[in-house]
Amino acid sequence: MSKKTINIPLGSQHISLLEPIRFKFTCENEKIVEIDSDVGFVHRGVERACSTKFKYDAIPYVVARVCGLCAITHSLSYSMAAEALIGGEISKKAQYLRVLMVELDRIHSHMLCLAHVSENAGYEAKFMQLMGDREPIMDLQEAISGNRVQFDYVSIGGVNRDISPDVVSQIKQTLKELRSKMEDYISEFESNWSLSLRFKGIGTLSKEEAYRYNAIGPLARASGLETDVRMESSLLPYDEIGFKLVTKQSGDIYARNMVRLDEIINSIEMCENIVDAMPEGEIFTKLKGKPDGEIITRLEAPRGELMYYIKGSKKPILDRVRIKTPTFSSIPAFMHVFKGQEYADAPAILASFDPCMSCTAK
Amino acid sequence: MKKIEVTLKNVVNVIREFYKPKVHHFLTLNGVALDESTTEIQWIFSNYKELDHTTVFLTHVKDGDIIPSIVDIIPSAIISQREIVDMFGIKVEDSERGLYLDEDSLQKPLAYGCAL
Repeated sequence: MSKKTINIPLGSQHISLLEPIRFKFTCENEKIVEIDSDVGFVHRGVERACSTKFKYDAIPYVVARVCGLCAITHSLSYSMAAEALIGGEISKKAQYLRVLMVELDRIHSHMLCLAHVSENAGYEAKFMQLMGDREPIMDLQEAISGNRVQFDYVSIGGVNRDISPDVVSQIKQTLKELRSKMEDYISEFESNWSLSLRFKGIGTLSKEEAYRYNAIGPLARASGLETDVRMESSLLPYDEIGFKLVTKQSGDIYARNMVRLDEIINSIEMCENIVDAMPEGEIFTKLKGKPDGEIITRLEAPRGELMYYIKGSKKPILDRVRIKTPTFSSIPAFMHVFKGQEYADAPAILASFDPCMSCTAK
Repeated sequence: MKKIEVTLKNVVNVIREFYKPKVHHFLTLNGVALDESTTEIQWIFSNYKELDHTTVFLTHVKDGDIIPSIVDIIPSAIISQREIVDMFGIKVEDSERGLYLDEDSLQKPLAYGCAL
């Protein structure tokens, strides 16, 4: 068969894309041979706003607006950086409550990604089911923080709301129900044709390529890279609550699905351990002083490593706030994976990356 | 955070010597505007499986300087390099403008004293 070169645009608005990103695929017949992307459709100037418009103690609420899905990880990364520059101890209870919210965020974010992967496989019933089962987790976040999406829960010095015994019972009950459902999901993603065989060997990133392209998060762990900021940072007490590193080896869509499913199970376990071992004490410590110096903090967001760099000089307005989001640094790896794949698989591959353009363009 | 000062002339060789893909993880390229004509550029790395380990190579860039590219060593650095071009208006070798900003956007918004 003769080769025919076709240029196919995908996005910036497309039914298979959740957020604005534009790809230009150059295909030889059905195979993608070259790819170009444009990620800059929603740049909002958050970094500039943080070093010109807002005082350092308001920034946890500003950076939460970088992303609706991982708002808590943005506020928390920034707050941990500011706390380190101001100095002072954060109570153990506040730290546990922070991790509880981060892990609940990971659960519902991973479920959203799995739902979209299912949808791309033509399995719309599974999409609806996953989205339905995700709702109780968002209800939990609302019960803990007061909001479903923009939590504004973390502030410099701790958290803004304590947890009541009723909410603890709700957490235990909801997680118990979800855990049994997750076991069914794992079995289906392992054995259902649409969700397993369909995705084996598709969109593969090898371990060597993952190193070469600095892959992070579930994308890296699905390729066998043993990397997770939860074990590379001591800022949060992950060593006390049962964190387990999840890796797979095949680096394809199937492996990325399985990593996310296993991470949901581990996050459920960690949340249960947190509520069982919740320390007594205050949830907020008033820190005196203003940020002075520079620091880098890292936190494992649902899509991978989130980094904040802040620099202050004892003034209310910081000199610099730098936000390095997971999707931003994964884009070169995404582009590499597409090459050599069938165009028909592109939407499913993209969904398996779980990209967040709101974070990327910030 | 371990900081190592480099120059625009030697940064590529220093990073080439330092960087071991299975040991070091490239986080990003960062810029900090210091005054009207000087920007600090930082190449930030962490170590896989090591607790709280970050290494920062830094240099000071003046108006008109061109930052050398490290894409030959770390292909994923291209996106961070393009971001520096857009945000600070500094030229980076092999990195074109337009990652985030269009021609009619506010240009180099993170450069020192850039007015809205």
